[in-house]
Amino acid sequence: MLKARILENKLSSLYKAGKIVGGVYLGKGQEAISGSLGAALVQGKDCFAPLIRDQAGRTAFGESLLDCTRTYLGSVEGPMKGRDGNIHRGRPEMGMPAMISHLGAQVPLIAGMLFAKRLKGTLEGCVGATSVGDGATSTGAFHEGLNLAAVEKLPMVVVVANNQFAYSTPNTRQFACADLAERAKGYGIAGFSVDGTDLLECAKVVRKAVKRAREGGGPQMIVANLLRLSGHGEHDDGSYVPSNAKAGHYGRDCVEVATQQMVDGGYATVDEILAWQEEMAAEVQKAVAQAQQEAAPDPYKEDWTALSTKFPFIPS
Amino acid sequence: MPQLGESIAEATVIRLDVAVGDEVRADQEIIEVETNKAVMGVTTLCNGKVSEIRAVEGVSYSVGSLLGLLEVTEEEVARTGVDTLESLEAKNQNQAAEEKKGEEENLHFALDGDSYEEDPSIIPSVKGLPVPTGVMGAHYISPRMRARMNDMGLREADISAVVGTGAGGRVTVEDLERFLDYLEAWPSAPASPMRLAVADAMRRSWTRPLATVGLPVILDRVLAHRREQTPKPGLTLYLLRAFALALKEQPMTAGYLIGERVVHPRSFDIGVAVQVEDGVVVPTLRKVDQKSLSELIAEYDDLVDRARRRRLTEEDSSGGIATVTNFGTFGLTTGTPIPLPNETLILGIGAGKKKPVWSEQVEAFLPATEAEMMLTFDHRVVDGGGAGLLLNLVAKLLQEPEGL
Amino acid sequence: MSVTYIDAIREAQEKLLREDDRVFLYGQDIASFGGAFKATKGLADAFPNRVFDCPISEDAMIGLAVGAAIEGMRPIIEMQFADFSSVAFNQIVNQAATHFYRTGMPIPITVRLPSGGTPGSGPFHSQSMEGIYAQYPGLVVVTPATVSDAYHMLIDSVKLDDPVLYCEHKFLYRWLKSKSINGDYLPIGQARIARPGKHATVVTYSAMVHEAVRAADRLQADGWEIEVVDLRSVKPLDLDTVLASVARTGRLLALGEAFPWGGVTSEIVSRVTEEGFHLLDAPPQRLNARDTPVPYHPKLWAAHRPTPESICEALRKLLSF
Repeated sequence: MLKARILENKLSSLYKAGKIVGGVYLGKGQEAISGSLGAALVQGKDCFAPLIRDQAGRTAFGESLLDCTRTYLGSVEGPMKGRDGNIHRGRPEMGMPAMISHLGAQVPLIAGMLFAKRLKGTLEGCVGATSVGDGATSTGAFHEGLNLAAVEKLPMVVVVANNQFAYSTPNTRQFACADLAERAKGYGIAGFSVDGTDLLECAKVVRKAVKRAREGGGPQMIVANLLRLSGHGEHDDGSYVPSNAKAGHYGRDCVEVATQQMVDGGYATVDEILAWQEEMAAEVQKAVAQAQQEAAPDPYKEDWTALSTKFPFIPS
Repeated sequence: MPQLGESIAEATVIRLDVAVGDEVRADQEIIEVETNKAVMGVTTLCNGKVSEIRAVEGVSYSVGSLLGLLEVTEEEVARTGVDTLESLEAKNQNQAAEEKKGEEENLHFALDGDSYEEDPSIIPSVKGLPVPTGVMGAHYISPRMRARMNDMGLREADISAVVGTGAGGRVTVEDLERFLDYLEAWPSAPASPMRLAVADAMRRSWTRPLATVGLPVILDRVLAHRREQTPKPGLTLYLLRAFALALKEQPMTAGYLIGERVVHPRSFDIGVAVQVEDGVVVPTLRKVDQKSLSELIAEYDDLVDRARRRRLTEEDSSGGIATVTNFGTFGLTTGTPIPLPNETLILGIGAGKKKPVWSEQVEAFLPATEAEMMLTFDHRVVDGGGAGLLLNLVAKLLQEPEGL
Repeated sequence: MSVTYIDAIREAQEKLLREDDRVFLYGQDIASFGGAFKATKGLADAFPNRVFDCPISEDAMIGLAVGAAIEGMRPIIEMQFADFSSVAFNQIVNQAATHFYRTGMPIPITVRLPSGGTPGSGPFHSQSMEGIYAQYPGLVVVTPATVSDAYHMLIDSVKLDDPVLYCEHKFLYRWLKSKSINGDYLPIGQARIARPGKHATVVTYSAMVHEAVRAADRLQADGWEIEVVDLRSVKPLDLDTVLASVARTGRLLALGEAFPWGGVTSEIVSRVTEEGFHLLDAPPQRLNARDTPVPYHPKLWAAHRPTPESICEALRKLLSF
C-alpha cells in the first residue's frame, strides 16, 4: 500500500513536470482494497488482471517497480517496449494480462484463463481475479463475462471498487440498483460489500472471498465502497467531486486509516512505518532514476509487424 | 419433407394421420414430425387422394425426401401449381446430366445443378467505363502500351504505320508485336546516335504548325563582292548576316511561344546547319547583328570545321534564335526546312541558277544568278505577312553586300 | 461419394480435436445440437469436454478465447453468423489483434464466421465482414472457396499462432461438393488460379469464385478467355499472383460479395494500380454488392449481389475498353 502510494505520488509529480508521455492514472484511495486483493493471490498459480487504479494490487502480486517506471517513462526495456503505455502494461506469461482501454473486457479474459486451466487439469486451487470500477459494471463486457464465468462455475474473484465516480459521472447516473453488490444475486454468485477505506476489513473480506473461490465456490463479487482521491487522470482536477463526499466516511484516506490501524493494533510502531516510508521512497527513486536513463524505443529499429506468422504459412 | 426451419436438415416421422385411399384437402396436416426444435406438422399443398405412403413412423427423413404421393386432377395442378411426379422426374434428369458433366470434366470442385434459380428478368446495372470506346480513331494509349513502347524506345510517330485493332481503332500491344514481327523479315540496320538525335529533334519540332514561304533572290552582287574578298566568306555567311540584320529590325518574328507568352530574342545568335555523316549539327554564331561580315569569318570557319570533325560542345550549339541552312550546296533549288525544336525560324537557300530575269529598264530578259530563299516559321507566332516582310528585307540587304 | 463444404469443416475440426489437446470448440448450440448448420455434428459426443455450448455472449466468447490462448490453448470459436461478430468487435480488434504487438505473446485463436448470403436470409444473416477485419493489423482473414481449402485452411488456421477469422460461406455449405477432401494443398498466403485465361482477370474469393467461373464459362462461348484468381486469404493478400495474372491479361475486375465502400476489392484495385500500372490496358474495375443492407426477398437479394449476369456485363465493358 505504502509503496504504491509513494510510487504514485512520484508519478504524479513527474507528470506535472512534463516527464511522462500520455496519461497518468492513480489509484489514490483504492490502495486498501487493491493491495488486499494482490496480497491474497499467489503469483505463479493465480492470475490477476489489474485495471487502472491497481498499483497496490500489482505491487502486492509481484510486479516490479521497474516495470511501472519503465512503462511510464518510455523506456524500451519496459514490458510493453513502448508499444503501449502507462496502466496498459502487463505480463501475460506471468498470469498478469495487459489491459485494453475498453472497460469490462478483462472479465471474460480472466474467465478464459481459468477455463483453460480447467481443460488442462491445473485449475485445482487456482483463482483468477480482476478489478473493475463502478463505471465498468455498466458495460456489456462485464455482464457477459461475469455471466459466463458464473455459468461455467469458474473460480473468479471480481473486485468492484466503487469510488463513486466514473470520470465525472456519479453513481446516480451509472446504475439504478441501491447497492452494486445486489447484482451478484442476479448472476447467481456470491456478493460481498466492504468498507474500502478500512484496510483490515478489506483484507478480511478479500481473503474470505478468495478462499471460497479456491474451494470451488464459483465466482465471487466484492464491492468496495470508497472515494477516488485523485482526478480521473492526472490531467483532471476532479472539481466535480462534491466536498461533502470528501468529508464523508468513505472520503477517508485508506493509507492514513491503515497507518492508524497498524499503530493501534500493535502491528507496527510509528517509527517503523516512517522507516518503511523512507525505504520505499528510496526504492521508488532508484526505479525512477534507472528508467529515466534508459533509451526510448527507436522507430528505425522496430520491425513494424503485428503478426508473428510469416506467409506463405508452412506448418511445421 | 418440407423445409421446416432455417437450420433444420431432417425430421423424424412420429405419426401418420392418413392412410392410402383417404381424400385430403389442401393445407390439411397429414403427418406429424419431430425436429430438434419442436414437433411440427407436414401439410398438403392441394386437394387429392392419398395414393402412396413411403414414410415410416419412427424413421428420420432429410428435407426434400419423398414422403408420399397424392393423386390429383389436372385442374388442381393448374390451380395450385404443385409439382407432379412427372415434372419432378424431368428436373431430376436435368440435374443428373449436369452432375455427370461435372464429373467428366474432373473439376477441382463440382457444381451442383440445383442451385438457386436466378431471375432472368433482373437486369444488372453496371457502371460504364470513363473513356467512350466507340469513338472512331481513338488514340488512347494505355499504361501497358506506353510501358511497352518505352521499353522499346518507341514514340507515337514510330507506330503511325501500325494498324490498330483495338477499340476505336486503337493500337494494342498485340498489334504492335505483330507489326514488329512483320518488320523482322525486312533488312534493317541500327540507327546511329546522331540519327536518333536528329529524329528526336525533328519529332519535337514537328509538333508545331509550320509554314514555309519562298522568295527568289538575285545573287550577282553578292557573288561579285565575294570574288574581291580575301579570305572569302562563305555564301551562307552573307545570308547569316543579312538574316541577323533583318531580324534586328523585326525581332518579334523570332519570338518563341510558350503558353500565353511570346519570348523575344535577347541576342541575335544565329545557327548554321552543317551536314555531317548521317546527320546535321547546328553550331551557333553569337551576336551576328553586331559583327561585320569580315569579323565573322574566323568564327564561322572555326565552328564549321569543328562541326565537321564532331568537336562541337553543348555550348556551341545552344542559345540560337534562328538557323540558316544552305541546301544549295547539295544542288537543291527549293526545300521546306524544319526549324530546331527550340527555335521558330529557319531560313534556307537553294542553289544559284542562271535564269532569265525580266528587266523593266531594257524591257528584255537578262541573265542573272537567282536562288530561292525559303523561310519556314511557326505559324502560331508569325503569319505570312510577317514572314514576307522578313524575307523581302533579307533580299534587299543581299543587294548591298558591302553593308553587311 | 461426395464431400460437401460443411463436411470438410466438420472433418477438419474432428482431426484437430483428435490430434491436438489444446484445441477446444466454443459456440452457441454447437454441442449436442451440432451447431446451427451442423458444422460440429457428433463432435461433442466423440470428444467429451472439448465442445461447449455457451451463452449468447459474443464479447465474452472472444474474451474467453483470448484468455484461454494466453494459457496455451487453441480455441475455435463458432459465431453463429458472421453478422453477430459485431458484438465481439472490441474483443477481436482490440484485445486479440493487438496482443502480440503490445506484449510479444501471439494469440492463436480461430473464429469461424459463417458469412455471405443465401436466398431469404436477410440483412443480419448475410454479411461478409472480411474487409472490416482485414483493416485491423494483427489479424489473419481467410476465405476458403473450395471443399479442399475449407478443410486444409481450417487446420492451418488453428496451427498458426495469430488470431484467424475463418470466413466460411453459408451458401457453399451444402451446395458445393467435391469428390474428396484432398485436393491440391496450397499454404495460407498463396492465391490460386481457379481458371486460366488471357483476356481479363477476375480477382475474387469465397462463393464469388464460383459465380466468376460461371460468368467465364458464358463468355467463353463468345471467344473470351477469362482468368479467375481465387485469393483464398484476404489478409495476407497474395499480390504477386494477382500481378502475374494482370501481366498476362492487362485487364482487372475485382469482384466481391461485400458492400462496395472500401473493403477487399478496393484494396486489390489500389494495390494493382500502385504496383502494376504499366500492366493495365484498361482502368481496373470493381464489382460488389449494392450500397444497401442485404435485402431479404430472394428477388431483391438476387439483384443486390453480383451474379454471373452482372459479372459478364462488367467483363464485357472491361473487354471492350
